[in-house]
Amino acid sequence: MWLSFNILSRMVDLSGLDPDEVALRLTMSTAETEGVERMNAHLDTIIAVKLLDVRPHPNADKLTLCDVDTGSEKLRVVCGAPNHKKGDIVALATVGTQFGVEFTVKKTKIRGEDSSGMLCSEKEMGLSDDHSGIMILPVDTKLGATMSGLFPSWRDTRIEIDNKSITHRPDLWSHSGFAREIASLYGRAYTSPVDMSIPKSFPAGASFDVRIDSPDGAPRYCGLSVKNIKIAESPEWLKAAVSAVGMRPINNIVDITNYVMVEIGQPMHAFDRAKLRGDTIIVRMAAKDENLTTLDGEEHRLSTEDVVIADRDGAVALAGVMGGGNSEIDDATTEIVLEAANFNPVNIRKSAARYALRTEAAIRFEKSLAPGLCEAAIIRSFDLIRQIIPGAEASSRIVDAYPVIAKPVRVSTSMDFIRKKLGHPVDDKRIAEILSSLDFELKGDAGALDIGVPGYRATRDISIPDDIVEEVGRIYGYDNIPPKAPMVPCAPPPANEKRAMERRVKQILSRNHNLIEVSNYSFVGEDLLNRLKMNGDRELRLRNPLSQEQDRLRRSLVPNLIKNIELNQRYNDAFRIYELGRVYLKEKRTDTALAVENTRVTGAVYRKKADSPLFYEARAIAADLLGQIGVSGVRLLPAEKNLPPYAHPGRSLEILIGKDRAGLVFELHPAAREAFDIRGPAALFDLDLDAVIAAKKTGRAFTELPRFPEVPFELSVLADRFTYAADIMETIRKSSRELVRTADVVSVYEGDPVPAGKKSVSIRVVFAAADRTLGPDEIEKAQKKVIGDLDAKGFKLR
Amino acid sequence: MEQKLEAIRAAATQAISSAPSIDELESIRVKVLGRKGELTAILRTLGELSPEERSRVGQKSNQIKAELEAVLESRKADLLDSRINETLKEEWLDVTLASAGASRAFEPGRLHPLSQIQYEIENIFTSMGFTVLDGPEVETDYYNFEALNIPAHHPARDMQDTFWTEDGNLLRTHTSAIQVRGMERLKPPFRVIGPGRVFRYEATDASHENTFYQVEGMMVDRDISVADLIYFMKVLLKEIFGREVAIRLRPGYFPFVEPGFELDIHCLICDGKGCSVCKQSGWVELLPCGLVHPNVLRYGKIDPDKWSGFAFGLGMNRLIMMRYGINDIRHFQSGDIRFLRQF
Ligand SMILES: [Zn+2]
Repeated sequence: MWLSFNILSRMVDLSGLDPDEVALRLTMSTAETEGVERMNAHLDTIIAVKLLDVRPHPNADKLTLCDVDTGSEKLRVVCGAPNHKKGDIVALATVGTQFGVEFTVKKTKIRGEDSSGMLCSEKEMGLSDDHSGIMILPVDTKLGATMSGLFPSWRDTRIEIDNKSITHRPDLWSHSGFAREIASLYGRAYTSPVDMSIPKSFPAGASFDVRIDSPDGAPRYCGLSVKNIKIAESPEWLKAAVSAVGMRPINNIVDITNYVMVEIGQPMHAFDRAKLRGDTIIVRMAAKDENLTTLDGEEHRLSTEDVVIADRDGAVALAGVMGGGNSEIDDATTEIVLEAANFNPVNIRKSAARYALRTEAAIRFEKSLAPGLCEAAIIRSFDLIRQIIPGAEASSRIVDAYPVIAKPVRVSTSMDFIRKKLGHPVDDKRIAEILSSLDFELKGDAGALDIGVPGYRATRDISIPDDIVEEVGRIYGYDNIPPKAPMVPCAPPPANEKRAMERRVKQILSRNHNLIEVSNYSFVGEDLLNRLKMNGDRELRLRNPLSQEQDRLRRSLVPNLIKNIELNQRYNDAFRIYELGRVYLKEKRTDTALAVENTRVTGAVYRKKADSPLFYEARAIAADLLGQIGVSGVRLLPAEKNLPPYAHPGRSLEILIGKDRAGLVFELHPAAREAFDIRGPAALFDLDLDAVIAAKKTGRAFTELPRFPEVPFELSVLADRFTYAADIMETIRKSSRELVRTADVVSVYEGDPVPAGKKSVSIRVVFAAADRTLGPDEIEKAQKKVIGDLDAKGFKLR
Repeated sequence: MEQKLEAIRAAATQAISSAPSIDELESIRVKVLGRKGELTAILRTLGELSPEERSRVGQKSNQIKAELEAVLESRKADLLDSRINETLKEEWLDVTLASAGASRAFEPGRLHPLSQIQYEIENIFTSMGFTVLDGPEVETDYYNFEALNIPAHHPARDMQDTFWTEDGNLLRTHTSAIQVRGMERLKPPFRVIGPGRVFRYEATDASHENTFYQVEGMMVDRDISVADLIYFMKVLLKEIFGREVAIRLRPGYFPFVEPGFELDIHCLICDGKGCSVCKQSGWVELLPCGLVHPNVLRYGKIDPDKWSGFAFGLGMNRLIMMRYGINDIRHFQSGDIRFLRQF
């Protein structure tokens, strides 16, 4: 939103204030400003000159050579306009005049002829859209006079306000709101532009009536008819003012209603009285499927949640959003009905959204305007009409439908409360001064305060003592409050076990196993799931996705991690990555009926060329992670069935905690590698962190170092190729539990002389006892039992 | 006899000096000086000689024995030296490489920069008595909006473009959603922070993301004031940036705080002088904060007449971007390790 200094200065004296400083003060105390613009600064160096001579350019048909008199010197200018003649007074942009940043007038040669300046059209100067020729000034204009002197209304300064910073302040959607703030900040007086004595001269009767059928949708409606209207162009100052705030001048009535809206914040509308059918203006909810063509020419089928203004025969305006074409004023209009009404912000917000018509009016109404503004806006508009259209006269009283008068808001608080909340000893006098300067009415004594809130701040903005604290604080200046450490008991905070575990897991993976942590979106899309052949349509979907690639929430961290592999293999021959994050399971529900969020940690090891299977690296990482955390009851079991489609069925290992599945270690299925054009193997682990957190943990305990000799025993057995080494070891461990201290596979061999389909597994067994040295008989017996037991299971000694 | 001794000496000296290895030396020693060696054999025949001759030959042979032993030792030392030198030569490495046969170093693991900053912030606040809190990422309208004093159709919902889920819930738009959850779980007084992932329904570009990270902070105690809030914010920023940073508080509207602020810090690029990053203002908007709105305390079943508090929300992505001069917010969720390995 733009704030015009010209408009502001009609309400508060701005003399001596630097606009940049004003913008900064507003940012620090009121609302965020986004910049200061000196409008039409070029008017300072454009002057009135007389054309002493105009003759054709010798080298160009459409150009003329003009000798001009500036009052102090004579210059030669080349001009391309068709409309000027000797003796005219015209506007010359002198050498050095800057039009924005992009164009500066220079002394130059045009087709071989010197030119010292530029003769300007109204459009070039920013005075109107007229570009048919250069501007011809009145013959009595003083030579050398600057355009900023001749057209002061157009030489404005404006501040841009960040609209997001005033959503809570309906009063700040107007110049009067900011004028009051500036008055308070600089200790100057605020003068209201509204003369409330004007209605005394209005007639007592009215040719129309107003009826509000839906007071919830429209708390107040004021109308005034005005006759002897002549629709015409607005005067310069009004066109300039409307332009300065970013609107296009239309005609005097439209410009006046727009001006009043930006001046005091009340959106208005003007109907052609002759076009209203019947004598009653009805404010009601739209009927089902009622139609209305708005001023922009669009036809809308209305909803029963829309508030409309209607006459006897139907809707004439979409209330608070836009007028209807059927009652629009035009050049023939002689009598109008001015409307200033108050509407329910929610209805307006919805209507504006429904028809994509977030008009200036709608933007203001949805902020909860004060009903008190209606009457003032009518009076102010009439005042301006009377000034601009001589002979215009009120043809009615102000017809005011206001069934439930808004209750004034009062806030009870105390000086001490304000000081306590600010944490700073602002004295009583200063507090009272600040609140009075903001138009609050103060009653009370001995520090107790009974505060009357001005109507324009009472709709939503201010209702509780804390709101008053803010008023005092922001005008006092938060920078004037020194920081203070609170006096509170000091104790270690309770720990968050889950967060601590997440942190520990990341430390182990990043620091001990050298994985790089990645962070992926919580979203997946159909295409990705299809490529992985895992689209079971089980994801929690978004109602309003941004794209098809991100239209549902992930159930697994794996798909996005595979995409990470796809991306990173292009630039790296080897890497280890992981993500710790949440997946969303819509079939499970929390007590607040939310999808259960399961925190998982999923990692991947990738190498373009691997000399040994990467599966073992992923397995080692996962196993060590569980080991370091001390999860008890972990079992790692070969998994061949019910695997996710991206897992290699011959290279997958399930992680169980107790009886529950808590994760999977696997190499990427060759089909998945192909689908993502991943060259080389990748092994992943995918672990349910919530299960890890919930699991029992074993503490660490010291085990005494071996005191009696350990006796190694090495043997090789012949086994089927698809035999799991774990089964062989299990047989050995079971064969004499007390004596087998360790049993490890030291090598596995396939190939000649081992027969095809078989492998030779070499195992190192260590026998020992905790309390004695084993005797030769004992050892031999144990060895024989191992061999015998293996044999019984079909594992022949080699 | 003496000629024989001389011949042994000459032959042995020659053999020792040309011995190629320590093993060879040893066999020469055994052959000449050993119990069955050549020199020993001569000494055994001394009995056959006259006493004078015996003493002369004996002296001579002892002298030769000592001489040969010295030569042997010296040769052995030489051979040892050259063997070490050989090893050194063999073990030469191109130390300009970072790993065997490759100039790319072994790659250490890393935490994502968002994790790093999160843990930094957690450390600062837990040291000041704050507890770390959690909340769901898919949240109810109640915790994300209503309990934060943002009822349906409130204009503040415009500021929060929201992803809605098919089951009528939403992806939390701010970590403020943990405020009322925290109050429900903890009895005042308490101090909490809640770092986490948040979402906005927003098309992505270099400065906009639909997924980013915030950390929420809240303290509830007796008589918490604006001055307390300023104190904690100053400590936080000093710790994060490693030095005092100039800050300013200006009014900012958030329905769940009253009064509410925007906290700006001096632009780190130009140190407050004005540059393109701060749009010449010298200040950069860093975090919204304020005193907890009494309605929010009530939603959390806390009596606002007895207790008060402050809250703040810090965007972690922006903080990291400022710290390292990162120009595109999309890097964070890219999964590209060329980005991640820089931190
Ligand atoms: Zn800067």
